[in-house]
Amino acid sequence: MKMDRVKRTISVVILSFGALCILFPIAWMISTALKPLSDAFDGQLIPSHPTLSNFTALFAPGAAGSVARWLGNSLFVSITVSVLVMIIDSMAAFALARLQFFGRTALFYVVVISLVVPFIALLIPLYLEFANANLLDTYWVLILPYTSNAFGVFLLYQFFLGIPKELEEAAMMDGVNKFQLWRRIMVPLSVPATATLGLLTFMNVYNDFFWPLVATTSQDMRTMTVGVQLMAVGQYNTNDSLLMALTLCSVIPMVLAFLFAQKQLTQGIATTGTNL
Amino acid sequence: MAVSEVRTKSLSVQRRRRPVMRVVWDQFSSFLFVVPFLIAFVAFVGYPIVYGFIISLHHWNPIAGDLGYTGFGQYATLFDSNSLFGQQFWTGLKNTALFVVISVPFLLAFPATIAYLIYRSPLKSLFRSIFFFPTVLSVTAVTSLWSWILQTQGGAVNNLLQAHVPWLVEQPWAWISIDMATLWWTLGFNMIIAYAGFTQLPQSTIEAAALDGAGSLRTFWSIALPQIRPVLAFITVISTISSFNLFAQSLLMTGGGPGSSTEPLTMVIYNQAFNAMHMGSAAAMSYLMALILAIISLVQYRITRERA
Repeated sequence: MKMDRVKRTISVVILSFGALCILFPIAWMISTALKPLSDAFDGQLIPSHPTLSNFTALFAPGAAGSVARWLGNSLFVSITVSVLVMIIDSMAAFALARLQFFGRTALFYVVVISLVVPFIALLIPLYLEFANANLLDTYWVLILPYTSNAFGVFLLYQFFLGIPKELEEAAMMDGVNKFQLWRRIMVPLSVPATATLGLLTFMNVYNDFFWPLVATTSQDMRTMTVGVQLMAVGQYNTNDSLLMALTLCSVIPMVLAFLFAQKQLTQGIATTGTNL
Repeated sequence: MAVSEVRTKSLSVQRRRRPVMRVVWDQFSSFLFVVPFLIAFVAFVGYPIVYGFIISLHHWNPIAGDLGYTGFGQYATLFDSNSLFGQQFWTGLKNTALFVVISVPFLLAFPATIAYLIYRSPLKSLFRSIFFFPTVLSVTAVTSLWSWILQTQGGAVNNLLQAHVPWLVEQPWAWISIDMATLWWTLGFNMIIAYAGFTQLPQSTIEAAALDGAGSLRTFWSIALPQIRPVLAFITVISTISSFNLFAQSLLMTGGGPGSSTEPLTMVIYNQAFNAMHMGSAAAMSYLMALILAIISLVQYRITRERA
């Protein structure tokens, strides 16, 4: 017993040190964001002249970046994509798991192909496809490419397979058609799995950088991730307090998602690892 | 096919009045459910794959479009060690490969160890939350943050160490910086997967090992780790793929420097396509990169499958 307590203490000490290493950069970001520029290099973790002036400067009219617009773009795009992906993938997964139709096997290959194709191979043709359609630098180009989400089909397919057949047969006896079966029975039963998919999709789209970087060019169409990068190499390059305030603002939606839905996020990630 | 034919027959026996139409409608209405997904796939994966291959066989400019067919000429150029594009491609690939080699072992070892420590210690959910947290941040937030604390003059890390390390501007520090930021950012993701693996272990095996007098390190190394081998294999494969796709950390932390020593293949492709405007050549590079990545993943998958 005594040995056990020693071991536990040792592991808590090691983990606490690791946790400090994780938290230190975040604490430093918050601290710098709350300092006036003149104090940014003072080396103090606790600001000696705490101020919110960096945040008001970010959102002030005539500021270098359009922070509110970028935040709005990011939220609009990632929420729209999440809703679309949840509907599209739920329908496809339901058909794959529960219905018989011509070409079902071929569709499985389609899902697997989309899972293994790396984004870099799609980057240039996707860009030119949208350039040809004259849709670069619009919401279309920011939303549409993410709607092909095979991971979600895979996730929900496994979930639908686990729903007992009797439930479906009972519903069919009551004379519901396939659409009603999906809408009234399968969708409500799969709320937890679908919500996990929605959250993971939101996180991926909100945090994506490469695609919005090449797909948008005007200040008004940039997303938050690209905005942070633009300011980091541009106007805020020499104003680290402003840059840290902007970085802090850019992560707030994901911090909220983390605080309220950490369980769904971690469960979603854990299932991807243990189901293989 | 065979199954549906059998179904067709039995249905037509049962419902004599409208057998054929009924079956056709049954198949068609089922198919309707996958139509939205199929449209999205064809438009944003299937068509681009084919289109990109066609582009890679042409000289292509984003404004002028097709500037002439070259067959596999642009692929051949990449294997010509005297050509500029070929040199850029292989330098980029070498840098990417180096990053994979210096990041994947840490992305496996740290998360597995931390997950096991959390699994065996109190305050599980607190530690899990803290280590997981950076995973939800965007890569630009992570690099913006790390670039600030790694500044040579007055950066928080140099202050803490009382040192003058040129983190982002000289080798080998530039690679170490990118590696540290990446590890900080993504170890929580792998930790969650490893932790889920440990929780599925039968508790009795670890207790039995403890009763047999096996030390903690020995229990971890010889009992716990081998039992979650498939999970560790999965972490290795996904970490290799994500490290192979390194882009933003180099672009934002070091700008690919010093020189082009931290410029990964993705950045070479990005510059070739969007700065030099050689879309055809960039497409050829990205297809070759995808092919190399596919081969690596396949080999890893085979090896880990055999061992697991």
